[in-house]
Amino acid sequence: SYYVFTFSVGYSTVALNHIIDFKEKKQEIIKPVSPAELFPSLPFVQGTSKRIRVLSRLTLVVSDPSHCNLLRSTSANIRFYDIIAVFPKTEKLFHIACTTLDVDLVCINVTEKLPFYFRRPPVNMAIDRGIYFELLYTPAIKDSTMRRYTISNAISLMQICKGKNIVISSAAERPLELRGPYDVANLGLLFGLSESDAKAAVSTNCRATTLHGETRKSACGVVYTVKKPRKVEEEEATLPACKRAKTQA
Amino acid sequence: ARPGGSMEPPAVPAATFERRVVRSGAEHHYLRVRLELPDGGARPSVAQFKQLVVSALRELHGEVGAALPVDVLTYEEKSLSAILRVISSGLVKLWSALTLLGFYQNRRCAFRVLQTSPFLLALSGNSRELVLD
Repeated sequence: SYYVFTFSVGYSTVALNHIIDFKEKKQEIIKPVSPAELFPSLPFVQGTSKRIRVLSRLTLVVSDPSHCNLLRSTSANIRFYDIIAVFPKTEKLFHIACTTLDVDLVCINVTEKLPFYFRRPPVNMAIDRGIYFELLYTPAIKDSTMRRYTISNAISLMQICKGKNIVISSAAERPLELRGPYDVANLGLLFGLSESDAKAAVSTNCRATTLHGETRKSACGVVYTVKKPRKVEEEEATLPACKRAKTQA
Repeated sequence: ARPGGSMEPPAVPAATFERRVVRSGAEHHYLRVRLELPDGGARPSVAQFKQLVVSALRELHGEVGAALPVDVLTYEEKSLSAILRVISSGLVKLWSALTLLGFYQNRRCAFRVLQTSPFLLALSGNSRELVLD
């Protein structure tokens, strides 16, 4: 079946994507189908004895700031998804997604010419926050015009973010549209990444995204302690009284 | 004058070795690939396979890419697997062209790169297909 084939190519974790497009009539976010219902037993990862992990992922196609309200509401089914991605269509939404929205991935459009240019401030803020930019490679397999758009959009993204925080993923609908991890890392070289960045785009950054999703689901606050410096008080005490008055004045 | 005198070290004979630094590695890279054609149509022959590889290079990298010296060393029509040889500087171009190939004569297909190595001998053993009893 489809998933057995996927895993024979060499992946150990897969995320199933549900796309919600707000332009159409009222869409409701349904609970993701749990993997146990889809297939009874998951195949093993090639070469190890662990089973595949199947995660669920939600992609929101936003073209209006009011669509982002869904992310702030806590009663929707959105918290059942492991990874949340947003697909901004305008520059303002891209800025909002990078700076304030609580998502794990920002999808970069590869099927058409970008309507806006990337600017450095929101991209740097997204990198600091731990948000990753996602590029798709399956449209490039289907059509040659898409190939050009994919490569040109990817190169313009690389120039701004210098290869950090990139994730390359497939939007495959058929098993034949999937490519092995090393093939995808090679595509990263085409987009202008360095070799280590390209391999990280398929392995390390993806794992960081799943961890980011887990922390988003679980963490409510962080407590940390800071050691207070004590040396300053002792130095003041040794100064004689007349000198102390002069320094304070 | 320094106390203790200065002792000259004994004269060292001139070195008789020569150091050569090779940074480019091997000249050619070898790839073992398999073409997946799920529909049970006619299988390509060797010439058609080579033409498919060259056309994939042309689609992605243009005429300069299509002019890349690629050789098909072996080809098995039954399993559609082949060993390709390419100049090391052209490995990224060839590999990306094979990855992004989607259609062969309007039939959906996919290239799976099984092994790649700068040495041909390394392609003979594949640890991924190792079966441990």
